[in-house]
Amino acid sequence: MSRLDESGLELVADVLVVGGGPAAAWAAIAAAERGASVVVADKGYLGTSGAYAASTSGHKVLPPVALLRDPLKFERYALGGFLAQHKWWDRLLEITYERAPRIWEWGGYEIPKYGRDGAYRGLQGSETMRILRKVLLQKGIQILDQSPALELLVDEEGAVGGARGLNRQTNVPWTVRAGATILANGGVAWLSKALGCNTNTGDGALMAAEVGGELSGMEFSAHYSPAPKYSSVTKSAYYRYASYYDKDGNKIEGLNRNGHRSTSAIAKELLKGPVFVKLDKDTELPEQRELLRAMQPNFFAAFDKVGIDPFQQQWEINLLLEGTVRGTGGIRIADEECGTTVKGLYAAGDAASRELNCGGFTGGAGPNMTWAIGSGNIAGRAAADFARNLGGGQAKRVLQAAGRVGLTAQIPSESVWDAASIVKGVKEEVFPFDKNIFRSEKTLLDSLAKLEELWKTIQGTPLSDTAQHLIRSREAAGLVATARWSYFAGLARTETRGMHKRLDFPQIDPNQRHYLAVGGLDRLWTRPVPVEEEVVPVPEEKRKLQLA
Amino acid sequence: MIEVLSLSRCIQCDKCVKVCPTNVFDAMPGESPKIARREDCQTCFLCEAYCPADALFVDAHAEARVQWNEEELVAKDLFGAYRKNLGWGKGQSPIDNLKKIHALRELVGSPF
Ligand SMILES: Cc1cc2nc3c(=O)[nH]c(=O)nc-3n(C[C@H](O)[C@H](O)[C@H](O)COP(=O)(O)OP(=O)(O)OC[C@H]3O[C@@H](n4cnc5c(N)ncnc54)[C@H](O)[C@@H]3O)c2cc1C
Ligand code: SF4
Ligand code: SF4
Repeated sequence: MSRLDESGLELVADVLVVGGGPAAAWAAIAAAERGASVVVADKGYLGTSGAYAASTSGHKVLPPVALLRDPLKFERYALGGFLAQHKWWDRLLEITYERAPRIWEWGGYEIPKYGRDGAYRGLQGSETMRILRKVLLQKGIQILDQSPALELLVDEEGAVGGARGLNRQTNVPWTVRAGATILANGGVAWLSKALGCNTNTGDGALMAAEVGGELSGMEFSAHYSPAPKYSSVTKSAYYRYASYYDKDGNKIEGLNRNGHRSTSAIAKELLKGPVFVKLDKDTELPEQRELLRAMQPNFFAAFDKVGIDPFQQQWEINLLLEGTVRGTGGIRIADEECGTTVKGLYAAGDAASRELNCGGFTGGAGPNMTWAIGSGNIAGRAAADFARNLGGGQAKRVLQAAGRVGLTAQIPSESVWDAASIVKGVKEEVFPFDKNIFRSEKTLLDSLAKLEELWKTIQGTPLSDTAQHLIRSREAAGLVATARWSYFAGLARTETRGMHKRLDFPQIDPNQRHYLAVGGLDRLWTRPVPVEEEVVPVPEEKRKLQLA
Repeated sequence: MIEVLSLSRCIQCDKCVKVCPTNVFDAMPGESPKIARREDCQTCFLCEAYCPADALFVDAHAEARVQWNEEELVAKDLFGAYRKNLGWGKGQSPIDNLKKIHALRELVGSPF
């Protein structure tokens, strides 16, 4: 018996979408356009919630010209450890090209002209999400804001038939019975306060695992971005203009490589002492500065509010963990339609593994957004079709709630655990660079042992006297679960590939060019999953460009 | 972190309560909202962007508290500054912002 068993809002829909970022919004629109009735439940507010709305993740929309699309596909193919699949890229780029411009139309913008580089770019994240929200409402999609999903519902055959959760402002539980359910609840950044990431606590991964879902790519979860030390603003593109300094004002060289910042080089420096930055490379032109300001108002908010001129003054930086938000791990996609290994359950955006187009490495500049838009649209359509084939039987199915740890006691216990101490314990394992960026068998085993203790603790009675506390407890469970999968997969991948760095295995191992499925709750497991596509050779002209 | 909710500016529309992704505010019947869970603030600045009265100020410090008073914020023109920079301020259109970006891009070349 939990708070969720009390009577509350009961809804029936063809498709339930869990989440409120671009992946969720696109999934909902795609399902509705296919004729499905759709409910979206977001932990926050569909419009501001999630990494994209706050960060304005950039992406390029490219016409179907190989000359333009190839560079994007090959840019990070090697960096991603050759785990991306070009056939997925092609499909996702095509969907983005078809769908993304609709936002301009819906928002009353003139359809943009392609820029000199043949691409055009998205609007501000908050503006895009404002427009998408309007469209969802126009299409009759019901949005439950401030309503985190806490557990999935399954029928007698184990197929997912919706979810339930709590409205955290009214404390009223909600249940949505649905023909198909799409998890689009974002990645996990372990409450690091990286820009826009604190809603994303891995709830979906845990919910999926509880009904037999699998994860993949969880070893690629160590994405960190620089931010002014005092702040949350992990916008990282402008570090290409950065010079780095130590505390005595001496320049530190080698922290940018090939025009991009090197996370591991910065991390090594930070382990030695404070690092300062000034944006003084190629930023002399006033018009250039004005452009940079206009393009990323959030980057400059971090400075304007405290009175720093980032072009003239130095500021201290830190690296904040963005985890799988700009890493690539998530719920394993098991078919072409963004279906999971569980019937009736789909995944999109950062909630899903993004290895299919990103392999083991992403970063900024588009691949994640291409995945969010593409997978959202694919999952939305497929879920609508799945629900239609059920023939409206979803209202009659006998459903059971599948949520366990963090919601109710799994083993009898006198004492009650509280989320704050669990969250602190997880952060101690996932934040330090020498545990997460620079991994070895020893660091991984040490952390896994500590996480195991936390996992044991949370089998006891969670603090759930209020709705807030119950939500926090469940989030804490998601954080522990995802940290365990990340390091367990990291232990199994005995090589360095993508963003997964093993000090004890510093090379890429051609025999490990596979995905790693990972899962299990009390007992963890991994299993290699072959990459269907052979390595695609870099086209000749591109290779020349790379050499030049 | 969210630092200031100006009672003199606030028009009690409760938009901040509705839009905050981490549920920092509590609605108070007949009054302005309360900053009820400041420590949950993820410093995303989006309440500022949505506040129609420019009554909110989110400092850029994500963990440390910084004291501000309203006079200082007015003097430094910081109320509503982020909203303005997004093109969401009174009398503004984000479409104009975009035109400006395009024009500057043509002028200085696309940085990326
Ligand atoms: C600073 C920064 C810069 C970035 N820059 C780029 C870039 O330049 N290019 C690029 O391609 N990508 C970039 N990314 C990554 C990009 O933002 C994400 O890939 C993208 O936001 C994914 O969209 P999403 O909809 O899957 O998740 P999000 O946008 O994170 O949305 C997740 C949603 O799920 C909701 N949610 C969470 N848990 C629950 C629950 N239990 N119940 C209901 N709802 C829930 C949240 O409230 C939120 O609405 C960047 C990320 C950051 C942090
Ligand atoms: S959004 Fe602004 S005006 Fe509206 S209640 Fe909040 S502080 Fe007041
Ligand atoms: S800055 Fe973001 S998280 Fe903080 S109060 Fe405002 S909307 Fe909420």
